[in-house]
Amino acid sequence: MSACAGVFAVSCEPVTEASTLQTERQLNRFFAEVERRALRIAEIAVRDRDEALDLVQNAMIKLARNYVSRPSDEWTPLFYRILQNGIRDWHRRQSVRNRVMVWFGRTPDNEYDPIAAAPDHNERTPDEHLENAQAMESLESAVGRLPTRQREAFMLRTFEGLDVAGTATAMGISEGSVKTHYSRAVHSLRETLGEHWE
Amino acid sequence: MNGPNTHDDERLAEQAKALFDDSVERLDAATLSQLNQRRQAALAEVSNESSGVRWGRWMPATGVAAAAVIAVVMLQGSPVTPLPNGETTTASDFEILIGDDNLDMIEELEFYSWLELAAADSSDNVG
Repeated sequence: MSACAGVFAVSCEPVTEASTLQTERQLNRFFAEVERRALRIAEIAVRDRDEALDLVQNAMIKLARNYVSRPSDEWTPLFYRILQNGIRDWHRRQSVRNRVMVWFGRTPDNEYDPIAAAPDHNERTPDEHLENAQAMESLESAVGRLPTRQREAFMLRTFEGLDVAGTATAMGISEGSVKTHYSRAVHSLRETLGEHWE
Repeated sequence: MNGPNTHDDERLAEQAKALFDDSVERLDAATLSQLNQRRQAALAEVSNESSGVRWGRWMPATGVAAAAVIAVVMLQGSPVTPLPNGETTTASDFEILIGDDNLDMIEELEFYSWLELAAADSSDNVG
Protein backbone atom coordinates (compact mmCIF):
# COMPACT_ATOMS: atom_id res chain seq x y z
CA MET A 1 0.00 0.00 0.00
CA SER A 2 1.25 3.46 -0.88
CA ALA A 3 2.69 5.47 1.98
CA CYS A 4 0.83 8.58 0.81
CA ALA A 5 -2.57 6.97 1.01
CA GLY A 6 -3.31 8.15 4.52
CA VAL A 7 -5.73 11.01 4.89
CA PHE A 8 -3.42 13.11 7.01
CA ALA A 9 -0.38 12.36 4.87
CA VAL A 10 1.05 15.61 3.54
CA SER A 11 3.44 14.04 1.05
CA CYS A 12 4.32 10.69 -0.46
CA GLU A 13 7.26 10.24 1.85
CA PRO A 14 6.95 7.52 4.46
CA VAL A 15 4.31 8.61 6.91
CA THR A 16 5.30 8.32 10.50
CA GLU A 17 2.89 8.40 13.38
CA ALA A 18 4.56 11.62 14.50
CA SER A 19 4.01 13.42 11.19
CA THR A 20 0.40 12.31 11.07
CA LEU A 21 -0.11 13.56 14.59
CA GLN A 22 1.55 16.85 13.71
CA THR A 23 -0.74 17.35 10.72
CA GLU A 24 -3.75 16.50 12.84
CA ARG A 25 -2.67 19.07 15.42
CA GLN A 26 -2.12 21.65 12.69
CA LEU A 27 -5.62 21.01 11.37
CA ASN A 28 -7.05 21.20 14.87
CA ARG A 29 -5.41 24.60 15.39
CA PHE A 30 -6.64 25.84 12.02
CA PHE A 31 -10.21 24.75 12.68
CA ALA A 32 -10.11 26.27 16.17
CA GLU A 33 -9.04 29.57 14.62
CA VAL A 34 -11.75 29.75 11.96
CA GLU A 35 -14.67 27.87 13.49
CA ARG A 36 -16.37 30.68 15.39
CA ARG A 37 -16.36 33.11 12.50
CA ALA A 38 -17.34 30.33 10.11
CA LEU A 39 -20.25 29.41 12.36
CA ARG A 40 -21.56 32.98 12.44
CA ILE A 41 -21.14 33.35 8.65
CA ALA A 42 -23.03 30.09 8.07
CA GLU A 43 -25.65 31.07 10.63
CA ILE A 44 -26.30 34.39 8.89
CA ALA A 45 -26.62 32.54 5.56
CA VAL A 46 -29.01 29.80 6.72
CA ARG A 47 -30.53 31.52 9.78
CA ASP A 48 -30.31 28.46 11.97
CA ARG A 49 -27.53 27.70 14.43
CA ASP A 50 -27.86 23.91 14.43
CA GLU A 51 -27.82 23.80 10.65
CA ALA A 52 -24.82 26.13 10.69
CA LEU A 53 -23.00 23.80 13.08
CA ASP A 54 -23.64 20.89 10.71
CA LEU A 55 -22.35 22.90 7.76
CA VAL A 56 -19.17 23.90 9.59
CA GLN A 57 -18.51 20.31 10.69
CA ASN A 58 -19.04 19.01 7.15
CA ALA A 59 -16.66 21.65 5.78
CA MET A 60 -14.05 20.55 8.32
CA ILE A 61 -14.43 16.92 7.29
CA LYS A 62 -14.17 17.70 3.60
CA LEU A 63 -11.12 19.91 4.02
CA ALA A 64 -9.38 17.29 6.16
CA ARG A 65 -10.33 14.52 3.79
CA ASN A 66 -9.49 16.17 0.47
CA TYR A 67 -7.21 19.17 0.87
CA VAL A 68 -4.95 18.58 3.83
CA SER A 69 -2.02 17.99 1.48
CA ARG A 70 -2.35 21.55 0.15
CA PRO A 71 -0.14 24.28 1.68
CA SER A 72 -1.68 25.45 4.93
CA ASP A 73 -1.88 29.06 3.74
CA GLU A 74 -4.43 27.86 1.17
CA TRP A 75 -6.63 26.25 3.80
CA THR A 76 -8.65 29.36 4.66
CA PRO A 77 -9.99 30.11 1.16
CA LEU A 78 -10.46 26.38 0.52
CA PHE A 79 -12.36 25.94 3.77
CA TYR A 80 -14.67 28.84 2.92
CA ARG A 81 -15.15 27.55 -0.61
CA ILE A 82 -16.33 24.23 0.84
CA LEU A 83 -18.51 26.03 3.36
CA GLN A 84 -20.11 28.28 0.72
CA ASN A 85 -20.81 25.24 -1.48
CA GLY A 86 -22.42 23.58 1.51
CA ILE A 87 -24.57 26.64 2.14
CA ARG A 88 -25.70 26.72 -1.50
CA ASP A 89 -26.55 23.00 -1.38
CA TRP A 90 -28.46 23.62 1.85
CA HIS A 91 -30.60 26.25 0.12
CA ARG A 92 -31.26 23.86 -2.78
CA ARG A 93 -32.32 21.10 -0.40
CA GLN A 94 -34.60 23.54 1.40
CA SER A 95 -36.19 24.46 -1.92
CA VAL A 96 -36.83 20.81 -2.80
CA ARG A 97 -38.02 20.05 0.72
CA ASN A 98 -40.54 22.87 0.49
CA ARG A 99 -41.89 21.50 -2.76
CA VAL A 100 -42.23 18.04 -1.23
CA MET A 101 -44.10 19.51 1.72
CA VAL A 102 -46.40 21.46 -0.60
CA TRP A 103 -46.97 18.29 -2.62
CA PHE A 104 -48.02 16.57 0.61
CA GLY A 105 -50.33 19.47 1.39
CA ARG A 106 -48.05 20.91 4.05
CA THR A 107 -47.09 24.52 4.36
CA PRO A 108 -43.34 24.98 4.42
CA ASP A 109 -42.49 25.96 7.93
CA ASN A 110 -39.20 27.63 7.21
CA GLU A 111 -40.45 30.91 5.83
CA TYR A 112 -38.07 33.40 7.25
CA ASP A 113 -39.36 35.74 9.85
CA PRO A 114 -36.45 37.94 10.89
CA ILE A 115 -38.12 38.90 14.14
CA ALA A 116 -38.90 35.32 15.12
CA ALA A 117 -35.50 34.05 13.98
CA ALA A 118 -33.43 36.77 15.57
CA PRO A 119 -31.54 35.61 18.62
CA ASP A 120 -32.97 36.97 21.82
CA HIS A 121 -30.12 38.72 23.51
CA ASN A 122 -32.34 40.62 25.87
CA GLU A 123 -32.16 38.13 28.70
CA ARG A 124 -28.44 37.53 28.71
CA THR A 125 -27.00 40.67 27.16
CA PRO A 126 -26.12 43.57 29.40
CA ASP A 127 -27.89 46.83 28.60
CA GLU A 128 -24.80 48.38 27.13
CA HIS A 129 -24.75 45.63 24.47
CA LEU A 130 -28.38 45.98 23.54
CA GLU A 131 -27.80 48.62 20.91
CA ASN A 132 -25.06 46.53 19.29
CA ALA A 133 -27.25 43.45 19.35
CA GLN A 134 -30.09 45.27 17.64
CA ALA A 135 -27.75 46.74 15.04
CA MET A 136 -26.34 43.26 14.40
CA GLU A 137 -29.82 41.87 13.96
CA SER A 138 -30.56 44.57 11.38
CA LEU A 139 -27.29 43.82 9.64
CA GLU A 140 -27.91 40.04 9.63
CA SER A 141 -31.35 40.55 8.22
CA ALA A 142 -30.07 42.90 5.50
CA VAL A 143 -27.11 40.66 4.61
CA GLY A 144 -29.42 37.64 4.51
CA ARG A 145 -31.58 39.36 1.90
CA LEU A 146 -28.66 40.08 -0.45
CA PRO A 147 -28.32 37.99 -3.61
CA THR A 148 -26.18 34.91 -2.92
CA ARG A 149 -22.99 36.09 -4.63
CA GLN A 150 -23.15 39.54 -3.06
CA ARG A 151 -23.75 38.02 0.36
CA GLU A 152 -20.79 35.68 -0.02
CA ALA A 153 -18.46 38.42 -1.25
CA PHE A 154 -19.48 40.76 1.55
CA MET A 155 -19.16 38.20 4.35
CA LEU A 156 -15.85 36.78 3.14
CA ARG A 157 -14.28 40.22 2.58
CA THR A 158 -15.73 42.07 5.57
CA PHE A 159 -16.40 39.43 8.23
CA GLU A 160 -13.65 36.92 7.51
CA GLY A 161 -11.22 39.52 6.24
CA LEU A 162 -10.13 37.60 3.15
CA ASP A 163 -8.40 39.68 0.49
CA VAL A 164 -9.77 39.89 -3.04
CA ALA A 165 -7.65 36.96 -4.26
CA GLY A 166 -8.65 34.76 -1.30
CA THR A 167 -12.30 35.66 -1.75
CA ALA A 168 -12.06 34.83 -5.46
CA THR A 169 -10.64 31.40 -4.59
CA ALA A 170 -13.29 30.82 -1.95
CA MET A 171 -16.09 31.79 -4.33
CA GLY A 172 -14.60 30.17 -7.44
CA ILE A 173 -14.90 33.37 -9.48
CA SER A 174 -12.53 36.04 -10.85
CA GLU A 175 -11.13 38.85 -8.75
CA GLY A 176 -12.97 41.36 -10.92
CA SER A 177 -16.27 39.64 -10.17
CA VAL A 178 -15.49 39.71 -6.45
CA LYS A 179 -15.00 43.47 -6.61
CA THR A 180 -18.26 43.91 -8.49
CA HIS A 181 -20.30 41.72 -6.12
CA TYR A 182 -18.71 43.32 -3.06
CA SER A 183 -19.32 46.86 -4.33
CA ARG A 184 -22.96 46.10 -5.10
CA ALA A 185 -23.41 44.47 -1.72
CA VAL A 186 -22.04 47.46 0.18
CA HIS A 187 -24.09 49.86 -1.92
CA SER A 188 -27.23 47.84 -1.27
CA LEU A 189 -26.53 47.59 2.47
CA ARG A 190 -25.84 51.29 2.68
CA GLU A 191 -29.21 51.98 1.13
CA THR A 192 -30.94 49.51 3.46
CA LEU A 193 -29.15 50.36 6.68
CA GLY A 194 -27.73 53.80 6.09
CA GLU A 195 -30.34 55.88 7.76
CA HIS A 196 -30.46 53.57 10.82
CA TRP A 197 -26.71 53.49 11.22
CA GLU A 198 -25.97 57.21 11.30
CA MET B 1 -11.49 57.94 -7.20
CA ASN B 2 -12.37 58.38 -3.57
CA GLY B 3 -15.70 60.16 -3.46
CA PRO B 4 -18.01 60.53 -0.51
CA ASN B 5 -19.69 57.22 -1.41
CA THR B 6 -16.41 55.36 -1.09
CA HIS B 7 -15.88 56.88 2.33
CA ASP B 8 -19.41 55.88 3.38
CA ASP B 9 -18.85 52.36 2.02
CA GLU B 10 -15.69 52.00 4.05
CA ARG B 11 -17.44 53.26 7.16
CA LEU B 12 -20.26 50.80 6.68
CA ALA B 13 -17.82 47.92 6.19
CA GLU B 14 -15.89 48.92 9.32
CA GLN B 15 -19.06 49.19 11.36
CA ALA B 16 -20.35 45.85 10.04
CA LYS B 17 -17.06 44.15 10.86
CA ALA B 18 -17.05 45.57 14.38
CA LEU B 19 -20.59 44.30 14.97
CA PHE B 20 -19.75 40.90 13.52
CA ASP B 21 -16.61 40.60 15.66
CA ASP B 22 -18.67 41.53 18.70
CA SER B 23 -21.24 38.85 17.91
CA VAL B 24 -18.44 36.28 17.52
CA GLU B 25 -16.98 37.29 20.87
CA ARG B 26 -20.37 36.94 22.53
CA LEU B 27 -21.00 33.36 21.40
CA ASP B 28 -22.23 31.55 24.47
CA ALA B 29 -20.35 28.77 26.24
CA ALA B 30 -22.75 26.07 25.08
CA THR B 31 -22.18 26.99 21.43
CA LEU B 32 -18.42 27.10 21.89
CA SER B 33 -18.57 23.67 23.49
CA GLN B 34 -20.61 22.35 20.58
CA LEU B 35 -18.11 23.79 18.12
CA ASN B 36 -15.30 22.06 19.95
CA GLN B 37 -17.19 18.77 19.87
CA ARG B 38 -17.94 19.14 16.16
CA ARG B 39 -14.26 19.83 15.46
CA GLN B 40 -13.12 16.78 17.40
CA ALA B 41 -15.77 14.64 15.71
CA ALA B 42 -14.67 15.85 12.27
CA LEU B 43 -11.02 15.08 12.98
CA ALA B 44 -11.90 11.71 14.48
CA GLU B 45 -14.05 10.74 11.51
CA VAL B 46 -11.33 11.50 8.99
CA SER B 47 -8.70 9.91 11.19
CA ASN B 48 -10.77 6.73 11.44
CA GLU B 49 -11.20 6.66 7.68
CA SER B 50 -7.46 6.86 7.22
CA SER B 51 -6.99 3.84 9.46
CA GLY B 52 -9.53 1.86 7.49
CA VAL B 53 -12.42 2.18 9.91
CA ARG B 54 -15.10 3.53 7.61
CA TRP B 55 -18.42 3.88 9.23
CA GLY B 56 -21.12 2.40 7.15
CA ARG B 57 -23.44 4.71 5.28
CA TRP B 58 -26.24 2.59 4.04
CA MET B 59 -29.66 3.78 3.21
CA PRO B 60 -32.63 1.50 3.67
CA ALA B 61 -33.92 0.32 0.31
CA THR B 62 -37.43 1.44 1.17
CA GLY B 63 -36.19 4.96 1.79
CA VAL B 64 -34.52 5.12 -1.61
CA ALA B 65 -37.58 3.71 -3.32
CA ALA B 66 -39.89 6.14 -1.54
CA ALA B 67 -37.69 9.10 -2.44
CA ALA B 68 -37.47 7.96 -6.06
CA VAL B 69 -41.23 7.60 -6.41
CA ILE B 70 -41.84 10.98 -4.79
CA ALA B 71 -39.23 12.62 -6.99
CA VAL B 72 -40.59 11.20 -10.24
CA VAL B 73 -44.21 12.04 -9.47
CA MET B 74 -43.54 15.45 -8.03
CA LEU B 75 -41.01 16.67 -10.53
CA GLN B 76 -42.87 15.67 -13.68
CA GLY B 77 -43.26 18.83 -15.71
CA SER B 78 -42.03 20.88 -12.81
CA PRO B 79 -40.33 24.13 -13.80
CA VAL B 80 -36.91 25.12 -12.54
CA THR B 81 -37.40 26.55 -9.07
CA PRO B 82 -35.75 29.84 -8.27
CA LEU B 83 -33.92 30.10 -4.98
CA PRO B 84 -34.91 32.83 -2.54
CA ASN B 85 -32.32 35.18 -3.92
CA GLY B 86 -33.35 34.73 -7.54
CA GLU B 87 -30.85 32.02 -8.45
CA THR B 88 -31.96 28.84 -10.09
CA THR B 89 -31.06 25.34 -8.99
CA THR B 90 -28.27 23.65 -10.89
CA ALA B 91 -28.19 20.28 -9.15
CA SER B 92 -30.81 17.77 -10.12
CA ASP B 93 -33.71 17.73 -7.69
CA PHE B 94 -33.69 13.98 -7.98
CA GLU B 95 -30.06 13.84 -6.83
CA ILE B 96 -30.91 16.07 -3.92
CA LEU B 97 -33.85 13.95 -2.93
CA ILE B 98 -31.98 10.66 -2.95
CA GLY B 99 -28.79 12.11 -1.46
CA ASP B 100 -27.64 10.11 1.53
CA ASP B 101 -27.83 13.18 3.77
CA ASN B 102 -31.53 13.67 3.19
CA LEU B 103 -32.79 10.81 5.29
CA ASP B 104 -34.18 13.30 7.75
CA MET B 105 -36.58 14.58 5.12
CA ILE B 106 -37.85 11.06 4.40
CA GLU B 107 -38.16 10.42 8.10
CA GLU B 108 -40.22 13.58 8.44
CA LEU B 109 -42.57 12.43 5.70
CA GLU B 110 -42.95 9.06 7.37
CA PHE B 111 -43.64 10.85 10.62
CA TYR B 112 -46.33 13.00 9.02
CA SER B 113 -47.98 9.90 7.50
CA TRP B 114 -47.95 8.21 10.89
CA LEU B 115 -49.34 11.34 12.49
CA GLU B 116 -52.26 11.42 10.06
CA LEU B 117 -53.00 7.75 10.62
CA ALA B 118 -52.83 8.21 14.37
CA ALA B 119 -55.15 11.22 14.19
CA ALA B 120 -57.61 9.29 11.99
CA ASP B 121 -57.55 6.34 14.39
CA SER B 122 -58.20 8.50 17.40
CA SER B 123 -61.09 10.33 15.73
CA ASP B 124 -62.62 6.96 14.76
CA ASN B 125 -62.43 5.82 18.36
CA VAL B 126 -64.08 8.93 19.75
CA GLY B 127 -67.67 8.30 20.76
